[in-house]
Amino acid sequence: MSDFWILLTGMLVASCSGILGAFLVLRKMAMIGDAISHSVMPGIVIAFLLSGSRDSILMMVAAMACGLFAVFLIQLFQNKGVQADASIGVVFTALFAIGVLLVSLFARQVHLDQDAILYGEIAYVHWNTWVVNGIDLGPKAVWLLGITLIIIVTVISLFYKQFKLCSFDPALAAACGIPVALFHYLLMGMVSMATVSSFESVGAILVVGMLIIPAATAYLLTDRLGRMIVLSVGVGILSVFGGYAAAVMLDASIAGCIVCAAAVLFVLAFLFSPSHGIVAKKLRLRKLAA
Amino acid sequence: MDGGKDMRFSKKPNSAIKRFIMTLLFLAVSALLVTGCGTGENDGLAGKGKLKVTATTGMIADVAQEIGGEDVAVTGLMGSGVDPHLYKASYGDVKKLDRADIIFYNGLHLEGKMAEMFEKLEKRKPTVAISSRIPESDLRSFPGGGSQSHDPHIWFNVKMWISAAEVIRDSLIEKDPVHAEGYQARAAAYIGKLEELDRYTTEQIRAIPEERRILVTAHDAFGYFGDEYGLEVTGLQGMNTMSEYGSRDVSSLRDFLVENKIKAVFIESSVPKKAIESVIQGARSMGHEVTIGGELFSDAMGEAGTVEGTYIGMVRHNVDTIVQALR
Repeated sequence: MSDFWILLTGMLVASCSGILGAFLVLRKMAMIGDAISHSVMPGIVIAFLLSGSRDSILMMVAAMACGLFAVFLIQLFQNKGVQADASIGVVFTALFAIGVLLVSLFARQVHLDQDAILYGEIAYVHWNTWVVNGIDLGPKAVWLLGITLIIIVTVISLFYKQFKLCSFDPALAAACGIPVALFHYLLMGMVSMATVSSFESVGAILVVGMLIIPAATAYLLTDRLGRMIVLSVGVGILSVFGGYAAAVMLDASIAGCIVCAAAVLFVLAFLFSPSHGIVAKKLRLRKLAA
Repeated sequence: MDGGKDMRFSKKPNSAIKRFIMTLLFLAVSALLVTGCGTGENDGLAGKGKLKVTATTGMIADVAQEIGGEDVAVTGLMGSGVDPHLYKASYGDVKKLDRADIIFYNGLHLEGKMAEMFEKLEKRKPTVAISSRIPESDLRSFPGGGSQSHDPHIWFNVKMWISAAEVIRDSLIEKDPVHAEGYQARAAAYIGKLEELDRYTTEQIRAIPEERRILVTAHDAFGYFGDEYGLEVTGLQGMNTMSEYGSRDVSSLRDFLVENKIKAVFIESSVPKKAIESVIQGARSMGHEVTIGGELFSDAMGEAGTVEGTYIGMVRHNVDTIVQALR
């Protein structure tokens, strides 16, 4: 049973991050997952200092609030003309540093960081179940990520055209009367929600990897947004299965293996993609020369 | 010319994508097959019919093995040299926990988020925090750390470790009453050895002149040890190995070394040497010579099969190293 729940959780993470990752890669903001993973630090520290407890729901709410604050700042700086990568870098390093500072000022004797407090581990999801009135409803992570996925799919499919236009040509979108800033904040809000709830369930490296690698792989395989999202989710799910198999064979960290599997798929697409792959380009050049 | 070629190429992306999807499907199916085979193979764990015990740290696994003897099959999750604060579970560890009949862990947040999971797991099988019987008044807590924050490094106070051994004994008896006699007898013998170790440690530390009973290490794992056996303990870093040490720590520790004329400082098996070496350099520049007294085991034991790979051997090694350097 453990295998089933771990794979299901992995697939849910792959789907959430696959969909959002496609938009992030297009907007050249793929590193935002990593940024959020560091930005939540001050939220956790402040919540701990105020409450003195490590209750996981409280920590998640604090992390979520801090994540939203971080993406809001990133988006704000970007709207005011700071480059996307620079605004991500400025916000997450500054917030992380504030967290480190708070620990060294007020809590230096306590083991306090995202690793110990917030990050879950995909290997444990099937033990962390949700029990209501004595009835075991299955792993919490599956519920949390399932709800997140439903929200993401609903919002994206309701406003697909708007999101699409905002990603490719914000100026045109604005000219058409679409509130571009609102949709950017909406997307960033979903990213923050998806990453923080995934951190809580499966840990950081898996989320950060899944947000970027499958989407970047899909970007090499197609030029159409709809197809890119489908492929991104597909590559993510495939990485989950392949990585899990590797973890079983090597007796290694499951999250590590899944991200490595995603990287292998990316390299394959980079080399052999029919449209953008290196091999295909070489062949076309040779045909051209002949 | 160029455009024409590109157009022709992009006319048939569908077949290419179909082929790609077929490949993906093939890979997915083979991945599933491998997963299935893998779980089948690993089922034949050693020790059929024995009580399966899984312990988080090596120290706990050692005690469980001593008390359980031939009636149990013990597996430890964290090997030698693994820092519990940084431990990551592998696929095999998940299976070890899944198959265990009883799980022992340290508690007091040593295992971080893992402990939360053990509390959940309690509904399905006994999961026992070996620190559970130590009265809260004996635990070291930290200023401003909140009510839940206690020093988890209880194993260097041998008296506390005896209490842990009793917890393990009683939990084994409760889970497997058929072999109660064996557990009782082995536990009695082992606790006898621990009591001897406790006496040995007390005597040895007393052999150090009182003004030199100051233990300087890179990682604050020796708080209980210092309290129990009368050593002042000063660390460079805080409780956890993750927090970065500040420049104020380095300079204040250097001044402390010079003022108290401390002969030796100690490095540890699971903490990098760099931090402590910069302090030694600083003291030397002020004209005070400090040596590295040797390597202490803190969060993990030595290699399996060596003397230091057992709990008793590890404590004796630490005591002998400290006494030799400070006397």
